Amino acid sequence: MQFDDKVPIYYQIKNYLYHRMVAGELGLGDKLPAVRQLAVDLTVNVNTVQRALREMIAEGYIAPQRGRGNFVTQDAAKIATLKQQLTTTYIQDLYGQLHALKLTDAEIIAEIKAYIQHRGDADD
Amino acid sequence: MTNALEITQLNYRKNTKTILTDVNLQIAPGKIVGLLGENGAGKTTLMRLIAGVAKNAKGTIAVHGETREAPRRAFVSFSEALQGFRPADKLSQIRDFYALAYPDFSAKKYLDLITFLQIDDDQKLSTLSKGTREKFIIALTLSREAAVYLLDEPFNGIDSMSRKRIISSIIQWKQDSATMVISDHYVSEIAALLDEVVIIKDHTVCAHKSSDQIRSEFGLGIEAFYESIYEGDIHDDEL
Repeated sequence: MQFDDKVPIYYQIKNYLYHRMVAGELGLGDKLPAVRQLAVDLTVNVNTVQRALREMIAEGYIAPQRGRGNFVTQDAAKIATLKQQLTTTYIQDLYGQLHALKLTDAEIIAEIKAYIQHRGDADD
Repeated sequence: MTNALEITQLNYRKNTKTILTDVNLQIAPGKIVGLLGENGAGKTTLMRLIAGVAKNAKGTIAVHGETREAPRRAFVSFSEALQGFRPADKLSQIRDFYALAYPDFSAKKYLDLITFLQIDDDQKLSTLSKGTREKFIIALTLSREAAVYLLDEPFNGIDSMSRKRIISSIIQWKQDSATMVISDHYVSEIAALLDEVVIIKDHTVCAHKSSDQIRSEFGLGIEAFYESIYEGDIHDDEL
């Protein structure tokens, strides 16, 4: 994984794990890799992984089990809310940029539909 | 908690030349710290003084509270450049020397490390490429169960595969409580590894910040922060 050096690394690790949870690559109740393994996989400091996990435990996305490691929450509603939050963030960003180009709401919707249509064609 | 490293008013001159002036530095246990500065800034000298290889500085250096030189040396594992060994020495002979010289040398860790770093220790020192030589130095240095590790420019002039392996071995084999200082003048590849950054300029420590502080307070990457300091874009009163 490539990190943006201008953004705190623990924050980017959290984001990476949020995305994997929403995408289902880390499913409800799944065990997370050991802290050191995550650090090796992401080429980051063990302390930084610990900080990211500590915050996600406080937020309730990760449930630690004594002596067994860290697990993704069993709470499906929590992950659904997270998915909604991430979706809103991306749409806000996209909408903001297109709006700044003076596209109307109708044009924005039409452009997105056309893009999806075109992408579908390209995939066939 | 006792600092892993505590340097107070360190001054060092060699012949009539000033190398370090009024260096003060505290580093907590468990941290990975980047020691950055131009060539000739005094990074290597500072490491040699901490390790007790260079002597006769003014001021105090404490490693886990220990200021006396001989016991302090036992806490510090310094990546020495294998000087004093003969070109015809086999790597396994150098390992034997380390195992005798340092009671905290772990044969198990050494074996894990040379396996991971893909080093055949039946070779002679003279046959090693620059990359393999650097990997071997890292293997020896990390094989000790020390409280403080000092790695002096471990990525200097080596290929990117060796560099990646060295970085992975640091993450894998550094004990949680151990402190590691890595010197370099080029930082982007290890930026994600560093808890803190110490910048040496004009013979002294001119900045000591946590990596997150640099990213969130200055909105800069580590490399950009380091360059700004050297180019004078960030003034002393902003640090």
